[in-house]
Amino acid sequence: MASSSLQLHPISISIPHRVSTNAFGLKPQSGFNKRYQIWKRKNKYPDFFIEASASSSTSGEDKPIMDEVTLASLKSNGIAVLQRQISKLQQTIVSSPPVVFLVKNSPGSTYMLGFCIATTALIIAVRVYLARKSRHKRPGSVADLVRRGQLNSGRGISKTVMYDDPFNNPQVKISKNNSTVEMCGKVYKLAPVTLTQEEQNIHQKRRSRAYQWKRPTIFLKEGDPIPADVDPDTVRWIPANHPFATTINDITEDLAQKNVYQKHGVPFRIQAEHEALQKKLEALQSDQKLNNMVIDPGTARNFERPFKSNNKLDDQQQVEQKSANGQTGSRPESQPNSNGKSASEEKQTL
Amino acid sequence: MTSLFSSTFIPSNPLHKTLTLTKPPKPHQKPPPIGPIHSVLQYNRKPQLSGDTPRVVVITSGKGGVGKTTTTANVGLSLARLGFSVVAIDADVGLRNLDLLLGLENRVNYTVVEVLNGDCRLDQALVRDKRWSNFELLCISKPRSKLPLGFGGKALVWLVDALKDRPEGSPDFILIDCPAGIDAGFITAITPANEAVLVTTPDITALRDADRVTGLLECDGIRDIKMIVNRVRTDLIRGEDMMSVLDVQEMLGLALLGVIPEDSEVIRSTNRGFPLVLNKPPTLAGLAFEQAAWRLVEQDSMKAVMVEEEPKKKGFFSFFGG
Repeated sequence: MASSSLQLHPISISIPHRVSTNAFGLKPQSGFNKRYQIWKRKNKYPDFFIEASASSSTSGEDKPIMDEVTLASLKSNGIAVLQRQISKLQQTIVSSPPVVFLVKNSPGSTYMLGFCIATTALIIAVRVYLARKSRHKRPGSVADLVRRGQLNSGRGISKTVMYDDPFNNPQVKISKNNSTVEMCGKVYKLAPVTLTQEEQNIHQKRRSRAYQWKRPTIFLKEGDPIPADVDPDTVRWIPANHPFATTINDITEDLAQKNVYQKHGVPFRIQAEHEALQKKLEALQSDQKLNNMVIDPGTARNFERPFKSNNKLDDQQQVEQKSANGQTGSRPESQPNSNGKSASEEKQTL
Repeated sequence: MTSLFSSTFIPSNPLHKTLTLTKPPKPHQKPPPIGPIHSVLQYNRKPQLSGDTPRVVVITSGKGGVGKTTTTANVGLSLARLGFSVVAIDADVGLRNLDLLLGLENRVNYTVVEVLNGDCRLDQALVRDKRWSNFELLCISKPRSKLPLGFGGKALVWLVDALKDRPEGSPDFILIDCPAGIDAGFITAITPANEAVLVTTPDITALRDADRVTGLLECDGIRDIKMIVNRVRTDLIRGEDMMSVLDVQEMLGLALLGVIPEDSEVIRSTNRGFPLVLNKPPTLAGLAFEQAAWRLVEQDSMKAVMVEEEPKKKGFFSFFGG
């Protein structure tokens, strides 16, 4: 009967073989399965062996003595078998997959694996964050339409950055042999232009034959007669309801040309309007002054000459007439009022 | 409504050849060897002004909505930032919107109509941009006023002359934002111009209108015409759903001033009243406008175009945004 001393074989002896063949322990696992199957099969047989040994020993007179002996032997055999099985099981447990041994023996690899996973996750997170940030920076150029007053909305204003230096452009890179160019991160192949001067001339001749056109010099609207000495090819007809073209010339050419060439001072029309307004204002002011001048009849008399001098003259004329006619007492009838007035004035003055 | 250009614009030759979908026949030539691409982009020096000042440039297209006003605003401010004095004239009599793009709509009190009527002087009608003091805006008229048609072209000529002789000096550039179509507004706008920038998109409707406008400009005596192809999408070009810039050039036969990629920032900048060339960091379209302004100053054209985007090489840390 084998001793049931269970001794674990040292790992250092058994493992290297296993690691060299397969670090992840596939073969040892299959070996483990095989051993398990063998062990299972062997488990069946001990019963058979026990039963066989039991059945063979069940004969005759020695039955009771035999029974005791057989029982004892059977017991010892069973114990031995059990012990062997246990030892084999322990061996299989000990010969576990090398990954486990790796993990047990090199903790640094765990850290490496964890570090790689963490780095990957960090890079992905940073990329997502940057993508979101760039999306928020440019909410769309419709905001600029709002800023300019073309749309009514309560959106924000986006800013654009000026590009100042066209001479030092890092976005453009030409390859050394000039066959490719990199622009804005994309690489393009270059192909030479193949158009020759002869081909250009051919095209020009073709067009000159196809499109014979004269610049129109006269613009007429419907119903206008064509002048006699005008080339019909230079006449252009404009419909009356054209939205932005008209044949009516409200402006004289010379005046318009002067307006275009004017460099200083007030433009002609503004000046003309200004002068017209100025004249109107002056006329209004002069009318107002005249209306303000009112004549008082009481004071007007002070400015009038006294009638005395006139009466004296009249009297003298009358005396002369009298002396001329030789009449004394008759007064001329033509001056009744003045005589009346003169009498009253004489009365007043006296 | 009767056609405004009934008999004037029909070509006299009934067998006229207009722009068709087929490309014109090319002379038999060997394809030139593709050598090194020079003068692609230059950012290390200020461009040298070429030509006589003031350079009067009309920005036109024919088709509406291709980006004329956007081009005028962005190229104008790019020129101002490069140190040149610029006057931008919105020659659209009925539908004025250059002031909206520049964010100056609340400061437009007088227009050219008031100057002609003698209500104000020319310097009082000019609106100076507070961000770049060498950029000024002049609007032709307020939306509800009518301009005598026989006057429009002459008025613009007088304006350009008056700007040349003003006390603070002649501007370096006068950009005229032309209205859409080939109507009286177009005729008015192109009258004082010496050169033209044709804005188009890579679709057949815009190309046909652009070809017609180019023909009219050449008939009127404007020979220096360059093209800006706007709203280009390299992904559609790669999938052959959109014409490439080289195809467009081959159809129109014009030198390239710039190629502007499709950019949603254009809409945001319009809403802000802040042209996208002033954004920091600049967008792809903003850079393209800057380059176009640079070439306009030097009377240069593009020698190479950006064809397609190369797939970006992804590293191990691309998951982390590297």
